[in-house]
Amino acid sequence: MKSTQYSEKVMDHFRNPRNVGVIENPDGYGKVGNPVCGDLMEIFIKIRKNKAQEDIIDDIKFRTFGCGSAVATSSMVTTMAKGMKVDDAYKITRNDVADELDGLPPIKMHCSNLAADALQAAIDNYRTGKEPLVEVTHSCTTDIKVILGVDEFLGKGVYKKVDDPSKLKDKRVLILDYGDKSLELALELTKYTGRVIVLTSAKSMPGSQELKMRLKSSDVKLLYDSELLEIHGTDEVEKVIILDHDEEEKYDLYVDSVIIIDEN
Amino acid sequence: MSYYLDNQAAKPVDQRVLDEMLPYFRENFANPASLHCDGDVATDVLTESRKKVAEFINAPNASDIIFTSGATESNNLALIGTVLRNQKKGNHIIISEIEHISIHNIAKYLERQGFKVSKVAVDQYGIVRLDKLEKLITDETILVSITTASNEVGTIQPIEEIRKITNEHNILYHTDAIPSQSVIPIDVQQLPVDLITLSSNEIYGPRGVGALYLKKGVRVNPIIIGGGQERGFRSGSENIPGIVGFAKAAEIMSREIDVEAKRFTVMKEKLIKNVLETIPKSYLNGHPTKRLPHNAHFRFDYIEGESLILGLKEHNIAAATGSACSSKTLEPSHTLISMGLLHEEAHGSLLVSLGRTTREGDIDKLIKELPEIVSRLRKLSPLTPPELLKQIN
Repeated sequence: MKSTQYSEKVMDHFRNPRNVGVIENPDGYGKVGNPVCGDLMEIFIKIRKNKAQEDIIDDIKFRTFGCGSAVATSSMVTTMAKGMKVDDAYKITRNDVADELDGLPPIKMHCSNLAADALQAAIDNYRTGKEPLVEVTHSCTTDIKVILGVDEFLGKGVYKKVDDPSKLKDKRVLILDYGDKSLELALELTKYTGRVIVLTSAKSMPGSQELKMRLKSSDVKLLYDSELLEIHGTDEVEKVIILDHDEEEKYDLYVDSVIIIDEN
Repeated sequence: MSYYLDNQAAKPVDQRVLDEMLPYFRENFANPASLHCDGDVATDVLTESRKKVAEFINAPNASDIIFTSGATESNNLALIGTVLRNQKKGNHIIISEIEHISIHNIAKYLERQGFKVSKVAVDQYGIVRLDKLEKLITDETILVSITTASNEVGTIQPIEEIRKITNEHNILYHTDAIPSQSVIPIDVQQLPVDLITLSSNEIYGPRGVGALYLKKGVRVNPIIIGGGQERGFRSGSENIPGIVGFAKAAEIMSREIDVEAKRFTVMKEKLIKNVLETIPKSYLNGHPTKRLPHNAHFRFDYIEGESLILGLKEHNIAAATGSACSSKTLEPSHTLISMGLLHEEAHGSLLVSLGRTTREGDIDKLIKELPEIVSRLRKLSPLTPPELLKQIN
């Protein structure tokens, strides 16, 4: 079966997804997947007690970035879980969701069928009673010595200071977040090139309040919760290997320059 | 009514081509190797067809054309055949990061057999870096294989400069001409490349037929061994109806290529302008001007390409994406990644390719439906920033 050969039921849920949206102050919140892999799902639940004092899923909403089956499984799991006892909803498996949708293409069974996992994550979050989604902003503290290739490519794509930003015209630039100075430089560079990527170990927008606003409205691309591992090339920088801490996953990014301004 | 905008994946056979082919299935079905009169007819038509395909690329000799079963086989014969033939001269070949998947996988195969393969990097537009190419060449290098244009983002490659560099180092140059074959004329007397991969379907001929152009004096080892057809370079009884169709397609294409390319350019420019203006956070992948006339390649932040294709499918619009979720390997397009895109950016791409049957109405339909589909998916997506949501609501 082709990856996009979906059942009519899948297409129905893709066309008219049920329970899309966000619940403010949810009792449980679950997030699974990673945009790098092409799927990201969030599920929000609101709980009430029934007459027997059992927990019931009173309301459930989702948001999904992903392919057709990612959207349809999210929609389906919310439909199935709504009104269910929490204990029963927790038992919904990926296969149950796929069965309710009259099946999924085999290749999609694992990669895009994460909706049941997202629901379980939301229920886990409800049961442990922790505040959902606490994000801490902190600046990058990467030890410059552990990045492979910095010395080899110093001056050949790796720069520790940038005196003349126009030299980076039209280059693909990766800047490591070493505080506000590096973020200022990132913003400055957008005047010269359309491709400025900031890599930060922070889980959300780094920098001062004012810088945050400016970054938000700029074309600077941010890579959160990430670490630069290696720099590669033939004689100049061609690509870097980045570790995404959130997913514990390494991937290649092709760039021309890596800028490491260590304020310390 | 369907709106077909996926011409780089497959093209319909031109009616004129089909009419030319039909008699060769039943009336004139003989094998050119047979000595009887029917066999002679087949030999004549094979010779005539070879001449027409040679003329399509202005090749001086019809015998420079080796018919194959298609572009993939031609690429196999070009790469594997060349390294086997030249093993004594060296064991290193160079390809680029943005080659068709068949070239990448053949290179991988050769690596497993002990050959060395280097890949030339590209810039953010997908143009091969000539300075890097020069540095990758060693005494062991026997072949450079770089396409005429990216089959995905449509960026046209500097093949004249590549030819100069390979000539200076006395290295064979193969180019996979498929991406540009239907929109940019090839003239091997102007640009003497050593080996060229050609496809029949790419110019509205039947599938299952292709050719490898071998410049006079260039030799490869055959990879299909048998009765010695095609001067021994490619055995197997010739696919006469297919070859007749290929030749007719080439003849028509030679005549119509300039007019078609102009027609595509107008429609493509209209599409690009409209999409970039009406859809926020949309980008054109590839080079703004050095691109194939029939190719428009976009990306949209915060959404995933397969969903986009499904959304278009609801409106009977056929297009393609470089998203991992639509591929067999679940890896995003290697071309987009080598241009410097992040995985999540490559996931949100859309490839629109025009062809002979494309009319302005097809483009208008896409321009009409696309913004709504993108907005709908963005409303679903947890990645869409609140500021943008307000804008699209």
